[in-house]
Amino acid sequence: MSDGSVDVLIIGAGASGAAVAWSLADTRMRILCLEQGDWMNSSEYPSTGQDWEVRQFKEFNIDPNIRARDTDYPINDDESPISVVNFNGVGGGTILYAAHFPRLHPSDFRVKSLDGVAEDWPVDYDQLEPYFNQNDRIMGISGLSGDPAYPPKQPPLPHIPLGLVGETVARGYNKLGWHWWPSDSAIISQAYEGRDKCLNLGPCMSGCSQGAKSSTDITYWPQAIRAGVELRTRCRVREITINDEGMANGVIYYDKNGDEQFQGAEVVVIACNGVGTPRILLNSKSEQFPDGLANSSGLVGKNLMFHPVGFAQGTFEERLDSHKGPQGCCILSKEFYETDESRGFVRGYNMQITRGAGPVGTALQGLGAGDIPWGPGHHEAFAKQFDHVASIAILCEDLPEEHNCVTLDPELVDSDGIPAPKIHYTMSENSRKMLEHGIARAEEVLNAAGATQISSGGPIRPAGWHLLGTARMGNDPSKSVVNPWGRSHDVKNLFIVDGSIFVTSGGVNPTSTIQALALYIADTMKKNLANLFD
Amino acid sequence: MNDKNIITSDNPLNEAQKEKLAALLNTIIPPSEDGNLPSAAELDLVLYLQTYVEDFLPLLGKILNNFDDVFTTLKPNERHTVVEEFSTEHANLFASLLFSVYACYYQDDRVHKGIGMDEGPPFPRGNTVIAGDLSLLDPVLKRPSMYRKV
Repeated sequence: MSDGSVDVLIIGAGASGAAVAWSLADTRMRILCLEQGDWMNSSEYPSTGQDWEVRQFKEFNIDPNIRARDTDYPINDDESPISVVNFNGVGGGTILYAAHFPRLHPSDFRVKSLDGVAEDWPVDYDQLEPYFNQNDRIMGISGLSGDPAYPPKQPPLPHIPLGLVGETVARGYNKLGWHWWPSDSAIISQAYEGRDKCLNLGPCMSGCSQGAKSSTDITYWPQAIRAGVELRTRCRVREITINDEGMANGVIYYDKNGDEQFQGAEVVVIACNGVGTPRILLNSKSEQFPDGLANSSGLVGKNLMFHPVGFAQGTFEERLDSHKGPQGCCILSKEFYETDESRGFVRGYNMQITRGAGPVGTALQGLGAGDIPWGPGHHEAFAKQFDHVASIAILCEDLPEEHNCVTLDPELVDSDGIPAPKIHYTMSENSRKMLEHGIARAEEVLNAAGATQISSGGPIRPAGWHLLGTARMGNDPSKSVVNPWGRSHDVKNLFIVDGSIFVTSGGVNPTSTIQALALYIADTMKKNLANLFD
Repeated sequence: MNDKNIITSDNPLNEAQKEKLAALLNTIIPPSEDGNLPSAAELDLVLYLQTYVEDFLPLLGKILNNFDDVFTTLKPNERHTVVEEFSTEHANLFASLLFSVYACYYQDDRVHKGIGMDEGPPFPRGNTVIAGDLSLLDPVLKRPSMYRKV
């Protein structure tokens, strides 16, 4: 299979690429995935060493421009208040994500109908529900059923521990009469499918040494490879090639030696996230597609949505063991998720309760905030903060705006000489009002929970995890890049399955929905194999 | 000049610089009053840098050369004033120094023990976290469904 054309070529081995590969594997087609990064080795993750905290700031930094591995590509985000964070390797962003795993709500797919803004999606929650459930089973999701903020769902594993942080903040929500619930988390709370349960190590966002965090290198990929899918690492795709009929016929990529290669394919699936996908499409210019591939709408790269993130951190008299347990997963609140225009903005936000930093992070954060001085008083101030904090992250729904976009930087290139992406982004007034509202509510919760000191801020700059909307789906080819099942309107054998096809962003971490969509698209492809290109 | 003053890869600071470093580290993180926590000077910053951040060693020498020999003889409050002035004049350099000092200090098991943490890296020992009291959810469970039907 390594030589010659394949039936399906998937670009990117992250959250969506893995799901599509797994789903298509049962067709017995020849499927190849090209990934620019490496396989990860869990014994090399920071939490295995004494210097675990500092390594999070370096080779496991969430910002590719700081991490700067030779498997990363640079991103010019100078013109954005939010910088892009990602990971390149088998597993993609799931290697370093927090694993906070809420689904989009039913209303998120109908924003135009309900709130008169943006566009409705061409799919809805009910269509995706079986794929949400399937994805939950394969990834191994821990949670608690019965949340009144969602239609009924049953996570396959019990919720992860609330800890003292969760209990304390939950009491604050109860005092205010506001909603909260244990978060759905892509972290296994019990042994599951050959993986052992979470040990509450803490630094999930620099890779899970225990293998309890459900990154796709240890969930989907082993199954997909056993089923016959080939995965080649250190293969960086430069462009998708087109034949005389305007159909994709393969890709040009650079192999681990930096040598240019061609790989032929009958079908090409792009799974490179909301920045990497438009980058490849815009780099794939030809006589037939002078503005970039699949871009007759002019919308490739446009409508970039992040989730602007604000925070409030409370300090408590009692010890909360804040550094123990999954950093980004604890409880959440949907009290302000659905639209209420009396708040001065449309749409809403998720409140994600997070645990505290380790001692190095605590000392550095305290220094930056002016709470922990160096010199006299250092130890007393440190003791008040370390293991005594709980935080609330405000994750705001961002609405699509064409001027927020990904283009190609005219000068910056990666190590193979491929033009790098450039981010153009300003935060809308609606998002700004939402963020301010959320931060104020988070302060109220922490106050009600008994915090003695509260600090807050936002938008946080290195928080561009969620890269959405830059090749959106829709029925109208003049208003969208792909159709309702991810197929390019312009190139009938080209599919996009990552977060770039989101029509709107919702107000939650998107991985669950990205993967459900990828499974839905793969299933639709399988149902339409006989007339896939009609 | 004795051998200890020859700068080599395994001896990156001369004797005068070492004395200044000890005084500087004692100023940045002095020992705790209850004796549970060491001063930053009691840990081996140079060894830490040699092991993890070798690139910073030349900068450390430059930082120390900014301090006069008299610095080591000053009283703690006087040294604090001198370091404060340095931190204002060389903000970026001082920030880099603090990062390394904190990294060395707060990744040391003696310090971990003193602040109530378990020793060693998180994996494979893990941590114990309480499951939490789910009866706290009772008021939430009494609420009607709150998502918008479409």
